[in-house]
Amino acid sequence: MRVSLFVTCLGDRFFADAAADAVRLLRSLDVEVDFPKNQTCCGQPAWNAGHVPQARQMATHTAAVFADADYVVLPSGSCTAMLRHTYPRLLESSAVAERSYELAEFLVDVLGVTELGRGLEGRRLAYHHGCHALRELGVEEQPVRLLESAGAALVPWEMDQECCGFGGLFSVKTPEVSVAMADRKLDTLPDVETVVSADGGCLLHLDGRARRRGKPIRFQSLASALWEARDGGA
Amino acid sequence: MEVHSRDYRARARSIITETPEVREAVTAATQTFVEHRLEAFAECDEHALSGWAERVKSHALTHLGDYLEEAEARLVERGAHVHWAETASDVHRIFETIVNEHGVQRVVKAKSMLSEELSLNPFLEGCGVEVFETDLGEYIIQLLGEPPSHIVGPSIHKSLDDTRVIFHERLGTPRDASPERLAEAARELLREAFLTAELGVSGGNFLVAETGSIALIENEGNIRLSTSVPRIHVALVGIEKVLPRWADLSTFLQVTAKSATGQPVGTFVSIIQGPGGSSGGEPDGPEELHVVLVDNGRTRLLADPEVWEALRCVRCGACLNICPVYRQTGGHAYGYVYSGPIGAVIGPGLVGLEETLPLPFASSACGACADVCPVRIPIPHLLHVWRQRAVERGLTSDVERSALRLLTFAATRSRVFGWAGRMAAFLPEWVLRRFPLLRDWSIGRETPKVDGPSFRELWDEGIE
Amino acid sequence: MSRDVEESILSRDARGRILGRVREANRDREPVSHPGSLPGAAEPPGPFGVAGQADPVGAFENRFRAAGGEVVRLPDEEAARAWLEDFAGGFESVSVCIGVPDALQPVLPTAPPSEAALGVSAAVGAAAQTGSLLLSSREGRRSQLLPPVHLVWVRAQDVRTTLGEALEACRENLPATLALHSGPSKSADIGQILVTGVHGPGRIIAAILGNAL
Repeated sequence: MRVSLFVTCLGDRFFADAAADAVRLLRSLDVEVDFPKNQTCCGQPAWNAGHVPQARQMATHTAAVFADADYVVLPSGSCTAMLRHTYPRLLESSAVAERSYELAEFLVDVLGVTELGRGLEGRRLAYHHGCHALRELGVEEQPVRLLESAGAALVPWEMDQECCGFGGLFSVKTPEVSVAMADRKLDTLPDVETVVSADGGCLLHLDGRARRRGKPIRFQSLASALWEARDGGA
Repeated sequence: MEVHSRDYRARARSIITETPEVREAVTAATQTFVEHRLEAFAECDEHALSGWAERVKSHALTHLGDYLEEAEARLVERGAHVHWAETASDVHRIFETIVNEHGVQRVVKAKSMLSEELSLNPFLEGCGVEVFETDLGEYIIQLLGEPPSHIVGPSIHKSLDDTRVIFHERLGTPRDASPERLAEAARELLREAFLTAELGVSGGNFLVAETGSIALIENEGNIRLSTSVPRIHVALVGIEKVLPRWADLSTFLQVTAKSATGQPVGTFVSIIQGPGGSSGGEPDGPEELHVVLVDNGRTRLLADPEVWEALRCVRCGACLNICPVYRQTGGHAYGYVYSGPIGAVIGPGLVGLEETLPLPFASSACGACADVCPVRIPIPHLLHVWRQRAVERGLTSDVERSALRLLTFAATRSRVFGWAGRMAAFLPEWVLRRFPLLRDWSIGRETPKVDGPSFRELWDEGIE
Repeated sequence: MSRDVEESILSRDARGRILGRVREANRDREPVSHPGSLPGAAEPPGPFGVAGQADPVGAFENRFRAAGGEVVRLPDEEAARAWLEDFAGGFESVSVCIGVPDALQPVLPTAPPSEAALGVSAAVGAAAQTGSLLLSSREGRRSQLLPPVHLVWVRAQDVRTTLGEALEACRENLPATLALHSGPSKSADIGQILVTGVHGPGRIIAAILGNAL
């Protein structure tokens, strides 16, 4: 089996190691990974802010880059949602939409993985569900099951499904509200060593806020946590 | 009403930084509403209910002209006066006539968001009429001189102590009075108002075309009293409130109450067909019933090819309660009578996009509101529609437009994109912070580290 | 021209313009059909998940109590009179709606509704689904609303399973106002703390007469 990795613009710049972990993880499951080098940004920042022509240009570019891919796998929930739900409206084609998967979703729903390894034995984690992964893709159980099956204790977090306040350009257009939302997440966080999420935007936002407040919380991409689960991170 | 939505960001900032207790009160109250709503729907087939309710409301809206005429005919048959008002000043004129004709000096008002939209209280006070808001929450904010902060709970941003202070000053209750004692003080004062007012004013949750019925939902009994005790009752009803059939009403009463507060039905429901008293051949009740059918921008919204769906709204407030953006500030930040996600959708339609501009952007697009709407209004989609229109009409900032043009230029040229990414890694943070978007990011947040290799560099080196 | 006439002419113009705009707005829109009755509403438990199809009176009692109301079940008129005599002992005055039969009126000095300690009315129906009593304005509203305590007589046979059935039974002969009372008056507007008896009666007692089965 062969997949094309779409690291996304945030993944390329800010989560390069996590994206590399996604490659290691997929390879360890006998999946051949391809990285089309013309890939850039899916266009979500423009779409979200209402700039449709710009979003369409980026969608057209991205769809061309992945035209020959069997599967497009993304270490990002919201970019996957963009490809799956918005591309058909922008491009009048659902070709890319039908073949795109968020990483954990791909592992569980396509590869049928139930357990990666025991690499998270004894780890206390909290999982932040990105809004688009949760509500647009319906990805809720998959990452949780993979982490738990690797021995991690997922500590209940009453706000685990509430928006962290990132929201793309919302985070800079309405920064005070955006930050207050991050505070609500951080203030309700149980006693854990690490917060894991599939979404880079949420992680940058929460991490940026936690560092500003001097809170020593570690934020980790789901891809890296799953590679650790595989025991490859050791 | 005056619209202050353009100041959304400044208002939100001031609420968050200067009155943090508002954020706490609103968060606690809305979380309670959300829990009660979940419990109320636990035993239900929510999907079946919302699907049916959506259809009924869409049917009513696509046949609105006929149903309004039917409701009017039934009401007139029962002896009600039906008025039509295109704007707030039409409504004011109708009230002026009634007030002058009957020598009205006191008005008791049941909670009505439409009356807020129409600035009715200031108008009546200008006519020399004494106006009493009788819903306890509305009464509290009337004393404080504030607009409602929430469609269902107008005073949810106020704590017990806030009410103690204002009641102490205005009603002379002890500074440490219990909630029961405060309620009793309001009850005594307002009871006197109910018994002496010549005019009672209410809104209307539903208008049933088949029977010409106005249905009103509440918990305190003040709506029952406002519509029963004074000699005249005026009901303000938005034209979108129509339900086609009597048989539709029971489900809408339940779905609305469950969505709003998690109750099976409001503690009191008034279903009004006509005047009471001798005009209606009954022992008591108002001798005159006036029903004012109000447009005030609704036909403009109905003509909108996309946003017309928002007219299905039953004003339950479920989308406000679930909204993490609303929770940080409450309703006052929005600067408009309808706040939260639904306010950001109907506000631009009722009063214009330019007047309410940042509201469609006051959302992180998390989508939580879409899951709780009992009439399936696609709120996130409609917010996005307004965002698109704001961009098309050139109403968004130059900085944002330029930034997105640059991103698009780079993202459609992969070599430029890779080069720009490398450049960003070389720029020191103090330079990055001079870019407007990054400057706003650094309000309350550290900037992300961009000093390591990009993924494409790692890939070229080979991933082991 | 009097203001009243002037006003009505202006309102008529507004009517024409509003209805014109409504019809213009809908002109090119695909009409949505009415979905008919709520699917499954007639089959237990229905989309509202109503329990107690077999025992609507019991289901009504549960709902009504959960909302803070009181319920007393009285098998016949004799039991009702005995209970009423005892109950009335706690009050100094009463205001009775005109629909209440003589036998079910407490022996107390009468007072105007705004002064009476107790209001007594007779419901035209009830709904188990929502724990609601249906009250008609034909019997007078003030006694239902102004006294701090409200006693409502309801016949067990008039307790319907769903709110829809209870409302349907009233459709042919609607009073000026048909009201649902589903518990004591309450508010959480003061600091989100629940208080009862804000404007309407703070105590409501549903006295159910007879056996439904």
